[in-house]
Formats: sequence, structure tokens, C-alpha cells
Amino acid sequence: MAGIVDKIAGRRPWMWALAFAGAMGIVAWFEHRHVLGGIRSLPFVAAGCLFLIPLAKSANNCASASGTLTPAMRQYNRRMMIWAVSYIVLLGIAMSIRHNLDPQGPLLWLIAVLPSLPMLFFIWAMVRYLKEETDEYLRLRNTLSALFGLALLLGVGTFWGFLEAFKVVPHVDAWWVVPVWAMGMGLANVFQVMRDRKGNDQ
Amino acid sequence: MKNRLKVLRAERDWSQQDLAERLEVSRQSVNAIETGKYDPSLPLAFRIAELFGQPIEAIFLRD
Repeated sequence: MAGIVDKIAGRRPWMWALAFAGAMGIVAWFEHRHVLGGIRSLPFVAAGCLFLIPLAKSANNCASASGTLTPAMRQYNRRMMIWAVSYIVLLGIAMSIRHNLDPQGPLLWLIAVLPSLPMLFFIWAMVRYLKEETDEYLRLRNTLSALFGLALLLGVGTFWGFLEAFKVVPHVDAWWVVPVWAMGMGLANVFQVMRDRKGNDQ
Repeated sequence: MKNRLKVLRAERDWSQQDLAERLEVSRQSVNAIETGKYDPSLPLAFRIAELFGQPIEAIFLRD
């Protein structure tokens, strides 16, 4: 089973990152057209997150081939898989309870909090990686990627926030912050990996 | 900062991967240091100097 996933994932993480970004873009477009929105978007976002499983595998394969699969990176990729799966499962549970039981009060609060728990795990995993990584250059590279993701998030958030305040664009739910940050981080990673290929002697 | 890493490596007929394994860092780190994209920390610079048996200032040169 693991072998099949490895084979499908290949060594092109950018391809899966593009698929993930594309899926998020499609959801955003449908939200813009009012076909989706709010809680109705969540299952589609969860489905898009399935691309993160081959993305993590592919990143592992790629790093392994280029000799950058440090123990910290292997652990981080493993945590990313746990995050993606738990996010999809918890979101599915929350959606089902909301749809079938129409809960109120504390139970409604509980299921509303459920999908955000894996997101907190995701942020914790990133912090752990930066603490556990002993290769100082890779640590710097990934810190820069995280900062780029943050800059993109702050830029897009501020820009969109003012457009929204002047009522020229529709409202966007706050849970988009982590996908936007992750997309920025991924973009910066791809750029840095491509830049580093120059000067390789192999 | 300029450095003589590539020359020192070539003298020993080591690939970037060989040097990376000896320093216990990734090949990307060796590549980034060698091409001047990244200046190593003092502990790593000392490890490099120790490996080549030369003082740090003989390997890393001011711009």
C-alpha cells in the first residue's frame, strides 16, 4: 500500500502543491459566484486537502533523492500526513453532526472547535520542525518560507479586509488564513529549491 | 563572503555529497555555502576548518 502511494506521489511535490492550490482556487471561485460559501465550502476544502497526502510523500521522495531528508524533515512530513488525515476526519465528523443532529449550545461549540484542532497541530508541527532541524541552512530556508507565507497572508488579508470594509468584495471566512499561509510557504519553498539547484555538482 | 571550499574540495576529489556527509549537513547546505548564498555559523565554520586542517580565515575570505 505504502509502495503504491510512493509510486503515485513520485518526486514532483510542486505538481501536488499546484493541485492543492488549484483546488483551493476553485473553491474560492465558487464562493465568489455564491455557489459555495461558509460551511458549505468546508467539505470541498477537506477534499482538496487530500492532495496534501501525496504532497507530503512526494516531498519525502524528493528530499530523499537530493540528500536533504533530515530526521527532522522526515518527522515533519509524517506529522503533515497525520494533520491532513485528522483534519479531513474531524471536519467530516463535525459536518455530519451539524447536518444530522442540528446541535445547539455546548455541543455546537464543541463541533465548531473540532476542525480547528488539527490546524493548531499544523502550527505546532512547524514550530517543532524549526526546533528539531539541526541543519542550519535548511532551518533558515524553511524559516524564510514561513515568513514569506506570513507576509503573503498579512498582505492579502489587509488588502481583502479593506475591500470588504468598503463592500466591494464578498466576506471571506477567517479559517482561510492557514491555507493562504501554507500556499505562500509552498511557493517560497519551490522558489528556493529551484534557486539552490544552480551550483549543484550532481 | 567568499570562500575556497570548492577548491579545497576539488583538491581532495570530494563531491558536495562527500563533504556534506563529513560535515553532517545536507548537500544543499554545502552548495549554498560554496556559492556564497549562505555564510555558515561560527560552529559550522570551525567544523569546516577542522576538517580541512586550516584556520577559518584561510578558507573564508572577506569580500
